[in-house]
Amino acid sequence: MATETTGAVLRLTKETGIVSLAYLIAFFVTFEILMPVQALFFPDFTSRASLLFLPHGVRVLAAWLLGWRSILGLLPGVIFVFFYMAGWGALAPSRLAAIAVAVTIPALVFQLLRLLGRDLSPATGRSPCWLCILGVGLVISLLSSLLTNYIFGSAPEDYIAYLIGDVFGLFFLMLILMLIFRSLRRYHI
Amino acid sequence: MSEISKLTELRKLLLNMEQSMGLQDLSTVERDVYYAASDHAVHVGAVKTTLLQDHALLANVSRPTFFRALKSLQGKGYLEQCKNSVRGYYIVKTPTR
Repeated sequence: MATETTGAVLRLTKETGIVSLAYLIAFFVTFEILMPVQALFFPDFTSRASLLFLPHGVRVLAAWLLGWRSILGLLPGVIFVFFYMAGWGALAPSRLAAIAVAVTIPALVFQLLRLLGRDLSPATGRSPCWLCILGVGLVISLLSSLLTNYIFGSAPEDYIAYLIGDVFGLFFLMLILMLIFRSLRRYHI
Repeated sequence: MSEISKLTELRKLLLNMEQSMGLQDLSTVERDVYYAASDHAVHVGAVKTTLLQDHALLANVSRPTFFRALKSLQGKGYLEQCKNSVRGYYIVKTPTR
């Protein structure tokens, strides 16, 4: 019994480490590399939102793979990002609410779909469907964008920018991973 | 589900994406044999041919087509014949190996 509990805690710790690390890498690539490029191409776009928000892809794929455990997996990474962006202001009620939205909505949407009879979670004998994941990613983005921007009282253009950034972010993250796996396969790794 | 199987599931999803985009080098049957092998490999490591043939994804695949796909998957490096066992056992190649 004790060994099982220890094993479960170890697995959860490892999952949390991997998911949060992936979230942080996606965040820093987005904000330190992609956003400066975005500013060059769209100098008139004043919103602080990224039009290619890779962390959304990490949230969706983590929720698809881990279900409810993705909430715990994403939490350290998302909290770190809020502290990085806002300092101690991350503890403001609006930002705490935004953190809660960011980590719970993806798992919640997959769970709701399961209850509605459309279980997309990985299972033996089931073929994965990448377009379905992309579709769910869009729903997750819609809900997250509505709630987050409502919490922050953002301008209407931010709602659209979040949506575009999330959908492109998920698609391009999947594309990047696809190319990485393809290269690994080519070299028989 | 272990970390390896999570990686396998992610890989399966992206193989599905690759094929939809016309970039993949596997036929539908080859992909299904690979998926089935991935499913079994999660539980038992090496996969036995007879177990694969009974998999739900391969219910409508004829025996010759199945073996052609199996041979092709070996050639492309997706499956490897198990060296430490009798014939008929295969190892699924994953990026972690």
